[in-house]
Amino acid sequence: MPKRLLTLAVNGRRHEIAADGHALLVDVLRDALGLTGTKQGCDGGECGACTVLVDGAPRLACLTLAASVEGRAIETIEGLARSGRMSALQQAFHERLGTQCGFCTPGMIMAAEALLRRTPHPDEAEIREALAGNLCRCTGYVKIIESVRAAAEARP
Amino acid sequence: MTEPTRYGRAQGGARKEDERFLTGRGRYADDLAVPGAAHAAIVRSPHARARTAAIDVAAARAAPGVIGVFTGADLVAAGVKPLPFVPGFVGEDGRPARSPARYPLTPDVARFVGDPVAVVVAETAEAARDAAELVAVDYEPLDAVVDVRRALGPAAVLAEPDFGTNVAAFHAIGDAVRVDEAFASAAHVARIDLVNNRLVPNPIEPRVCVGEYDTASGRYVVRLPTQTAQSTRNSIAASLGVAPERVRVIVGDIGGGFGMKTFIHPEDALVAWLAKACGRPVKWRADRSESFLGDTHGRDQWVQAELALDRAGRFLALRVRLAANMGAYLAFIGPVVPLRAGVRVSTGGYDIPLFRFEGRAVLTNTAPVCAYRGAGRPEAIYAIERLVDVAARELGIDPVELRRRNLVPRSAMPYRNGVGETYDVGDFAAVLDRALAAADWSGFDARRAASRATGRLRGRGLAFYVEWTGGEMTERAVVEVHGDGRVVLLSGTQNMGQGLETSYAGIVAEALGIDPARVEVVQGDTDRVLGSGSVASRSLFVGGSAALAGGKDAIEKGRALAADALEAAPRDIEYAAGRFCIAGTDRAIGLFDLAARQPERRFLGEATVTFTMPSWPNGCHVCEVEIDPETGEVRVDRYSAVDDVGRRLNPAIVAGQVHGGIAQGIGQALLEACRYDADSGQLLTGTFQDYALPRADDLPAFALGAFEDEPASGNPLGTKGVGEVGAVAAPPAVVNAVVDALAEFGVKHLDMPVRAEDVWRIVAGGRAPR
Ligand code: FES
Ligand code: FES
Repeated sequence: MPKRLLTLAVNGRRHEIAADGHALLVDVLRDALGLTGTKQGCDGGECGACTVLVDGAPRLACLTLAASVEGRAIETIEGLARSGRMSALQQAFHERLGTQCGFCTPGMIMAAEALLRRTPHPDEAEIREALAGNLCRCTGYVKIIESVRAAAEARP
Repeated sequence: MTEPTRYGRAQGGARKEDERFLTGRGRYADDLAVPGAAHAAIVRSPHARARTAAIDVAAARAAPGVIGVFTGADLVAAGVKPLPFVPGFVGEDGRPARSPARYPLTPDVARFVGDPVAVVVAETAEAARDAAELVAVDYEPLDAVVDVRRALGPAAVLAEPDFGTNVAAFHAIGDAVRVDEAFASAAHVARIDLVNNRLVPNPIEPRVCVGEYDTASGRYVVRLPTQTAQSTRNSIAASLGVAPERVRVIVGDIGGGFGMKTFIHPEDALVAWLAKACGRPVKWRADRSESFLGDTHGRDQWVQAELALDRAGRFLALRVRLAANMGAYLAFIGPVVPLRAGVRVSTGGYDIPLFRFEGRAVLTNTAPVCAYRGAGRPEAIYAIERLVDVAARELGIDPVELRRRNLVPRSAMPYRNGVGETYDVGDFAAVLDRALAAADWSGFDARRAASRATGRLRGRGLAFYVEWTGGEMTERAVVEVHGDGRVVLLSGTQNMGQGLETSYAGIVAEALGIDPARVEVVQGDTDRVLGSGSVASRSLFVGGSAALAGGKDAIEKGRALAADALEAAPRDIEYAAGRFCIAGTDRAIGLFDLAARQPERRFLGEATVTFTMPSWPNGCHVCEVEIDPETGEVRVDRYSAVDDVGRRLNPAIVAGQVHGGIAQGIGQALLEACRYDADSGQLLTGTFQDYALPRADDLPAFALGAFEDEPASGNPLGTKGVGEVGAVAAPPAVVNAVVDALAEFGVKHLDMPVRAEDVWRIVAGGRAPR
């Protein structure tokens, strides 16, 4: 498969990478850009661990061709903290123990981030629905839901 | 021996390890950049049993990017040994338990769908996968058996015909004659015959391993997520035929383990061997479909249990017969799970004087079965708690009342149960009462009426459990005090999401009177620290107690050094809050200043603790379900629990552990089932589409309460294991609730997972199945 030059805007920075035309976003992020915060937990579309934002909406990086998101704004877990400070959502996950083993966490936080951007004050059912595509085997979701709620409540 | 202070409590809920997880900087094995690494792809058997007569690897070898292709025969020719498993079991004939030899790649016969047959190593994972498709294996399919009941039936197909039986190991406990007599004279006998469904543990992080070999030193390094670094290292070394010291296992962050990432999997040894054979680091990462095929599975027991009661509803005797599906090879501790671990709590929280157990560990042509959260105890508690509900219904006694009559009273502690295990402390009746109050048990009728009014069925169930935790009861800790202001704790247990970095740092910091932020925790590197790892909910009470003792020893070592430095007698040196001082004077030296004066700018404390008393967490979980009669769908509407896990160091971490266990237990009860086709042996549930893990919209919030009045007597922290309790209690609580909801249709029992389709049939047909 011939390689081509891709220009990706990730966390506000432009990256040029040579990649196969069929390269998946998850592999480009992890292997070419070293952004290993985005995880892979299934063989495609079943676990949500690879959730990133594309133009602010949640996308499964394992089902997304990197070439298809050229020129779009891609955000990963590494982009949420600002000058070394965790975002309010990350801070809420910290305070409410919304992470245990941490493996689902990046995808979970990105899915929650997308929810809070479109629905700043979701109720519990809306949170559960928005996170239903993200599997967590550790928490039973209880403290994840609490974390998202706490972040929402802290919002203006 | 419990100490008055609650070590590590000062720190509150937030964890030390969180920040890297929350910002995408976790260090999981798949995240490591391994310069020069080649990638392995495994060819797995598509047959449940087949002779691998001839394997043609020529086309794969010639494929682009391929570095090498190897078969089981290559490994055997190179002197690779089978993977070990724990000794000490016997078969029905009294001879040592037998398992087919399991090599990292099977050299002759594939024994389950997914059994590794060959491996391709290539420049990229994609090239390896593509070339693996080109490996041509000439399989001669053989008859196979996958179901444990069939495997024990007359004229059963033998999973390993040479053995002449499918029973690999047999274990009996108790006086059969006296138990028979008790049954013969009992006023009532309740019986249950159930299947504890096979589960796939499915941590969200798949298994990954990276092998390296250093020609100069002749040493192997294997990086992988394992809960038991030392045991895994020893097994890898045994398979490679080298001394354990020639293998180093390094563990980074683990994305969930749940017992599956314990001990040895074939790929762990395989990557080490490949690294040497190929002269390159070799990495293997499981696809999710490979996790379903090749990870060790959990549960899968067929249990027949009988309870003898007298006229007053007192339990007289319990008889349990179980057959545990072990899969095609005995996993490292496979038979331990049903035959030694679970059986300890077969009588649960009840005073049942007479007990008889017969357990068979059975070979089949399925993936090997080993530990999964609870490892034997969920199966045991499920059987007794279902059985008590059956008895209550048959006798027309309220299930709470029947339990109350038979729970071991606090006054009987320490209490030796019918199995021969001794519970040290516990106030089971108080725990039961508190749980019923928390669940608003008495408000059920009103809620049921409300459900009725909307056309729904409602049922409630409870489960009382006692769990055994501990496993290996010895652990060591080293506490290094460094001149630069850090304290490093080395522990042979393993963090995998349960917050050990936080809990241990809190314990050591409190022992030393310093800020927990100064304490680093090092685990999972067999060159730096050995130990028994994190299994059986042992890490806090065994490993944490070792950390406490190590911290105290550091003070004693420091006292001697401070005496030198301050030119005083050690007995005159007092220690508090990071300073050694001469009693009654203002002459003092700081902990870290003292370390800075030592030759290596540090000094060490160390301790090995050994306990004799396991911990016996117990609790009562209450579940209410609602059933939609139109669809048969069962929804957990309310779930509350009161758990006695002794003293809680970090209540938020404890709650998180219980939540996760309950979710897995509800998953087992309502959603999860690993199924093989009974005839072909094909795995029917190989993706998250076919095998449903609980999702955020499947579960309610859980209301938890803690009972801390009876701290564990056997360790200085007063703590009991908590990691598994939710997975122990939830399945019977949920199924008892479902059966209660369907009682009006004559339902006595439903096997897990309770499927909407079965429930719908019962309701639509107005009667129970079978
Ligand atoms: S890795 Fe993308 S959904 Fe699982
Ligand atoms: S925290 Fe482990 S999978 Fe969610």
